[in-house]
Amino acid sequence: MRVSEALKWLLLVWLAVVIIAAFFYVRPAEGFIGESSRIVFFHVPMAWIAVLAFLVSCITSVMYLKRRDPKDDIRASVSAGLGLLFAVLATTTGAVFARIMWNAYWNWDPRQTSITILLLIYAAYLALRGAIDDPERRASLSAVYAILAFVTVPFLVFVVPRIYWSLHPDTIINTRGSNEFDSRYTQVLMASLVGFTGLYVWLYTIGCRIESIRQRRRQEVL
Amino acid sequence: MSRLLVEALAVAAKDLRTEFRTRVALNALGLFALTVLAAVSYTVGPYRITAEDRPFLLAVLLWIVIFFAALAGLDRSFVKEEESHTAPLLRLAASPTAVWLGKLGFNLILIYFLMAILVPLYCILMGYKILLVGGFVLILVFGGYALAVITTIVAAIIARALTRGALFSVLSLPLLLPLLIFLIQGTAGAADGTAETVANTLRAVLSMGGVMTIVSAMLFPVVWAD
Repeated sequence: MRVSEALKWLLLVWLAVVIIAAFFYVRPAEGFIGESSRIVFFHVPMAWIAVLAFLVSCITSVMYLKRRDPKDDIRASVSAGLGLLFAVLATTTGAVFARIMWNAYWNWDPRQTSITILLLIYAAYLALRGAIDDPERRASLSAVYAILAFVTVPFLVFVVPRIYWSLHPDTIINTRGSNEFDSRYTQVLMASLVGFTGLYVWLYTIGCRIESIRQRRRQEVL
Repeated sequence: MSRLLVEALAVAAKDLRTEFRTRVALNALGLFALTVLAAVSYTVGPYRITAEDRPFLLAVLLWIVIFFAALAGLDRSFVKEEESHTAPLLRLAASPTAVWLGKLGFNLILIYFLMAILVPLYCILMGYKILLVGGFVLILVFGGYALAVITTIVAAIIARALTRGALFSVLSLPLLLPLLIFLIQGTAGAADGTAETVANTLRAVLSMGGVMTIVSAMLFPVVWAD
């Protein structure tokens, strides 16, 4: 079995164990209603992947502007698509959690506002890609937009929630630098983060391969 | 350095001159703002909002009018170049950074002109009392600058795209929303006298404007190149 196939099976087992552990290995955390704390194991990694995907999109955009390699443009667009998917999932899981904890799916809490703007940025990026015909201009203009948009992300993710009061629970790496959860919780959360990152990498590699095959076919037709 | 400024001023002057000939952007900005202001003033007026809600709600309405007026008119500087086919000549005539500075200057003048007319009228018609006027003016100045910087680079991006008008709003809004949140909070703080909110807002808006200026200056040559 090749390394990549082994890694895929490992990913499957890893995520399965994480999901089982999320429900049977940890007790619900204090300060959360009922079993709702378990959503953290899925919501946090997905939010993390949404930002990571965006970071990858931005980095590959910078690389495209430097090297003008079409593969970098493919990487940027695939990563943006995945980032949108994970951002939607993170928003939905967050809304479910908000309903359980504070009886409202959506109240424009600063973090909810931040994730909405992130969604809008992704959607705008994909809209821009759709609106330009010439492939090279499309690649360079979307690269510029990805970089521009990424520059606003630190403001959204770090500045807005800090300046304005938020219902959102304290982040894991909070201002005091201490860890509020018990060790089992942290273990499963870290394992989930690793598992979801692996999932993202796998989807990303497949997406890039599909896109480059599509591009090659398009060029052959021409 | 001075050559850059001379070229930039020439670009801005050219834009202003052509703008005064046709007044398209001014009409778009001005008529939109005045229409919305008239509608809001007529329906809401100075009496309908309770005293405790006034600082915040009136701040929201003010910035909504400013932002949507900006979205209506600020893409004009680049779209005009593409429509009249003068863009290639401009590429030859001035360096990219000078073009960017000139267009930014033009957008700044438009925005400040809009604010100079709209804000006093708004405060008069809606009975908006601002306690920290100095802070409010600073918020307007720096907020307008950040708004102009972001819309300039986005206008440059969409000028070569297919569905310009709609795409300009779609691309600008995610970038402008954080700015909008800060500015609304800051204006509400200036209206009810909380200096701390105003200081926080100014810090955030200045840093956003600064970061966007640097990133725009670096990315504009890429967008402008054919």
